[in-house]
Amino acid sequence: MTIALRAEPARVASWFHALADETRVKIVEMLSHKERCVCELEQVLGIAQSRLSFHIKVLKDAGLIADRKEGRWMFYGLQRETLDHIAAYTRSVKPGKHAGSCAVACCD
Amino acid sequence: MRRSFWVRLARKSRFWRGGLPRFPHPLHIQLAPVAQWFHAASDTTRLDILELLSQRERCQSEIARLTGAPQSNVSFHLRVLKEAGLITEHRDGRRRFYGLRGETLDNMVAVIQFVSPGKHRGTCLLSGCQ
Repeated sequence: MTIALRAEPARVASWFHALADETRVKIVEMLSHKERCVCELEQVLGIAQSRLSFHIKVLKDAGLIADRKEGRWMFYGLQRETLDHIAAYTRSVKPGKHAGSCAVACCD
Repeated sequence: MRRSFWVRLARKSRFWRGGLPRFPHPLHIQLAPVAQWFHAASDTTRLDILELLSQRERCQSEIARLTGAPQSNVSFHLRVLKEAGLITEHRDGRRRFYGLRGETLDNMVAVIQFVSPGKHRGTCLLSGCQ
């Protein structure tokens, strides 16, 4: 039996992995207000820059944030589409959402 | 002297039992479970399990058969999902059936929507919020 996935499983797992850490959730919450530079994030979160750039890399690899260079500063902003994809995926696995439209015989 | 003060405080006070106080943050209280929910969904096998359970309640051996993963592996993943509150368990005779918890999935969607840019326009107290 094949399991019908709407997006590539590894990709979905990487989205959720990016949000599976308190610091990264905080970063995402901070970026939801506006674009910020690393210096701002570092100041507010109070963690070392090396840790911060590790967390930013995880978020960037998952496609949750994008960077923009302005002069000497890097600004980070949230990627709206990825968040929409995550929300859509999470809604799609909710029970009862695919009643009637599912090809699996035992689905209810 | 400073160190002994903290050591004494740590020994005496109930305040420290629950771990060190964390940085105050609007999401502060919910943050640990939030990270746990997303951690539970951050594995391809567990995503397969969520897919299977979204169709209907299933027991462990059925999940193992359908995902092709060994029983011990499945039981570990089910425990992670259960501890995060993504699935529920009920006993029917000797077998245990697992089902998805809709509320947790709703909460995950709510968190995503909360952090989507532009979603809290006008309601945000932070200066410079766009």
